[in-house]
Amino acid sequence: MKFERVLLVLTDETDQSILSDSVQVCKNAGSKLFALFIIEPNRIARLASLTHQKVNIVHSKTEEEGWKLLYLLEDEAVENGVWTSLHLDEGNVLHRISHYIESYGIDVLMVKRKDECKKIFVSSSIPVIGL
Amino acid sequence: MQLKISDYLKPEAIIMEIKAKEKLAAINELVAHMVENKLVSNGDEFIKALAKRENLESTGIGDGIAIPHARTNAVKDLILAFARSPKGIDFSSVDGKPSHIIFLIASPEGKKSEYILALAKLSRLLRKHAVRELLRNAKEPEEIMDIIKKNEE
Repeated sequence: MKFERVLLVLTDETDQSILSDSVQVCKNAGSKLFALFIIEPNRIARLASLTHQKVNIVHSKTEEEGWKLLYLLEDEAVENGVWTSLHLDEGNVLHRISHYIESYGIDVLMVKRKDECKKIFVSSSIPVIGL
Repeated sequence: MQLKISDYLKPEAIIMEIKAKEKLAAINELVAHMVENKLVSNGDEFIKALAKRENLESTGIGDGIAIPHARTNAVKDLILAFARSPKGIDFSSVDGKPSHIIFLIASPEGKKSEYILALAKLSRLLRKHAVRELLRNAKEPEEIMDIIKKNEE
């Protein structure tokens, strides 16, 4: 099976270790790599409350970290000759993933394999690679 | 790491109205402007590095913004340039819309952390609708610099 368009899903819980693996998977498969960092407003509000910070401060930090992850990924992808498209969006993770699958004709999802990702594995309409 | 975008943007790296109508021509025009103002030593190498990226990704991040960028030893330090296109240029943007505001970022090969941070800070700043509107309506290069300075945190 050939995957032409891969969507890598990133959140504030994702660490950098997933970046190299996802680039290598796409390099080996000759796939285009769409990277999506999703900011979840409910989670930002919870984090702000837990850490006694203002919501807009937590949001700004999360957004900046998101862009950093995306550009780190892109830098590695360019080094490896992998085509990339970077996206940062806000909302419910499952809803945003569905939107991108439809909008960009995604064949396969890549996510960091954690317990929290079970909902993605269960609800996805396309194959999911857990890295 | 503390980094302020405004520290790296100089008035002589700003084109208030770019003539080019397509992305590679726009990159060429911006780089030529930077070479003319002695901000870049090797324009050809710089353009080659930027073109390599453009072939492998879309640097149009949506909302009328494009951020062509590259790590290349054609520059000695992190550097930014700005151009505005009233009609817009097709940067194969993620939302399919033409780019009216173009920020170019380059850094030497060895300054990856600084480069990534500058890209992240700039991308976040430009997602703010109010900042985009101010940049689109500014009249002078100094005004562009003021907007960046006042709005970055």
